[in-house]
Amino acid sequence: MKTCAPLLLAMLATPAISEGTRELGSHEHGVGELNIAVDGTTVAMELHAPGADIVGFEYEAETAEDHAEIDAAIATLSEPLTLFGLPAGAGCGVTEVSAELESEADHDDHEEHEKHNDHDHDDHDDHGDEHAHDDDEHHDEEVAANHTEFHAEYTLTCSEPGALSQITFAYFDVFENALELEVQVVTDAGAAAFEVERDAPTLDLSDIF
Amino acid sequence: MILRLAARSLIARALTVGMTVLAIALSVALFLGVEKVRSGAKTSFANTISGTDLIVGARSGSVQLLLYSVFRIGNATNNVTWESYLEFASLPQIDWIVPISLGDSHRQFRVMGTSTAFFEHYKYRQDRSLALEAGVVMDDLFDAVIGYDVAKTLNYSVGDPIVVAHGIASFREHDEQPFRVSGIIAKTGTPVDRTVIVSMEAIEAIHVDWRGGSKIPGQTTFIETIRQMDLTPSAVTAALVGVSSPLQTFAVQRAINEYPEEPLLAILPGVALQELWGIVGVAEKALLAVSVMVVVTAMIGMMATLFSSLNERRREMAILRAMGASPLTILGLLVLEAMLTAAAGAVLGLGLVYAGLFIAQPAIDGAYGLFLPIDPPALRELFVMLAVIAAGAIVSLIPALRAYRLSLADGMTVRT
Repeated sequence: MKTCAPLLLAMLATPAISEGTRELGSHEHGVGELNIAVDGTTVAMELHAPGADIVGFEYEAETAEDHAEIDAAIATLSEPLTLFGLPAGAGCGVTEVSAELESEADHDDHEEHEKHNDHDHDDHDDHGDEHAHDDDEHHDEEVAANHTEFHAEYTLTCSEPGALSQITFAYFDVFENALELEVQVVTDAGAAAFEVERDAPTLDLSDIF
Repeated sequence: MILRLAARSLIARALTVGMTVLAIALSVALFLGVEKVRSGAKTSFANTISGTDLIVGARSGSVQLLLYSVFRIGNATNNVTWESYLEFASLPQIDWIVPISLGDSHRQFRVMGTSTAFFEHYKYRQDRSLALEAGVVMDDLFDAVIGYDVAKTLNYSVGDPIVVAHGIASFREHDEQPFRVSGIIAKTGTPVDRTVIVSMEAIEAIHVDWRGGSKIPGQTTFIETIRQMDLTPSAVTAALVGVSSPLQTFAVQRAINEYPEEPLLAILPGVALQELWGIVGVAEKALLAVSVMVVVTAMIGMMATLFSSLNERRREMAILRAMGASPLTILGLLVLEAMLTAAAGAVLGLGLVYAGLFIAQPAIDGAYGLFLPIDPPALRELFVMLAVIAAGAIVSLIPALRAYRLSLADGMTVRT
């Protein structure tokens, strides 16, 4: 009975703690995602790439060198036209850019906060359990923190969107660890998906536009 | 000069040459026809659903969601709660949303509950809307609109009663609440042809006396009572979504995929169709390979004819040599003849394909919903024809080289 009590308590406490849902998106090194949406003359692009592809590491930046590398990567990612070459005839100009490094751990931190607040209302008896769970969460975080992703969003205005027949991916030259980009294109006419690989870094869009 | 000679020589042997031309023409026609059907099938497939930006369902795989929501193959792993559905419907980026509820059947056909907005927003073949061949869209609770194949197979017309069965393969029927056919949809070539469409409320209504998959014994709610009940659905199987601008598509998709209250999946129909085609497209490649083999066979046939003609044309070659033609001219003549034969075959084959298209196009569209556009020959077709002519030249080289060797020594002294 003595040994059972903590176990039981732990089980009782579980529903309260797991109220926040747990999810982890898929993450494949070497493979990034590029979404392109076109509406009239506006072209929106979003890039999701694993940290491993962009800077070669996914641990939390520790040294000044790591930080510098991340800053340099973000600066590079902030110039979409040097990464994704669009036909000159399309007359595209960048109107908005945002690039950032996002770690799965960021999400967990949030949840942890909420959970802590929840626990403040709990009795002291639960304290032992709380500790146990904190350990779990730390464990989770360590696993998750191993994966980071660069997110970038671009808005472009193209005077001749019909001329967007091809994209050349200098992206692969800039980021040596990137092997593949899964590209999805959405226009008024519908959606299409492509895979662009390092070996053939061009995308023919003439069927779409 | 040599061209005229080649043409004359071919005309002189009109019958055998004609046979070879016919064989090549048929093989080219088959190849181009298969190409046409292949690309037509692919477009038809890709056009099964258009105009819909996202399909939302329980989190599973994109192909599975597409299969059960659009092709009505297989079943949903989970439903989407009505609360989530309403929440998405109220998103400002969402232009329209159409619910779909599956799970019942009529004979071998699936029954789909939806709203009348389905008829407005479901598009196929680029931007074609569903058209009714007879009757009207359902406006009563127990009205059903049936697809073309349903009407044809079961011989239904507007006004006929139909009874919906519980589940997909079950003998339990919702026989207390019979439906009435209110409309028949014209042939679309999409899975809609094989679907019975009723309203969302009707799906709720036929399940009023059912709990946990079976009928509550002895309980029958009168239709009049059902009509007065609150028939708000508690769940939908999937939903078709249109966003206000393509720029919002990915944002809405992410919002749904990361929706914390319920594990859901939003897919881009075009991308999922492409993925699915990648799976079934293997058959298409096999078909292409077979038709290539037929062209190769025709070419080998031509080579055989050329070889057998060499013997009977020995004297002809000798005369040509005597008139001062060099052995190289003999070789050129044979290759040119073969190229002319192949060219005639290719052109005739192309003609056959177009003739076939003109005759069979409406019938194929009507019977299989496969629309084969009659376009002028594209670069690809011209390339195929050129390839056939080039193949003809290459194939003829072997007998031509033999003729070349023979004509060097032989022929001047006929030993017969």
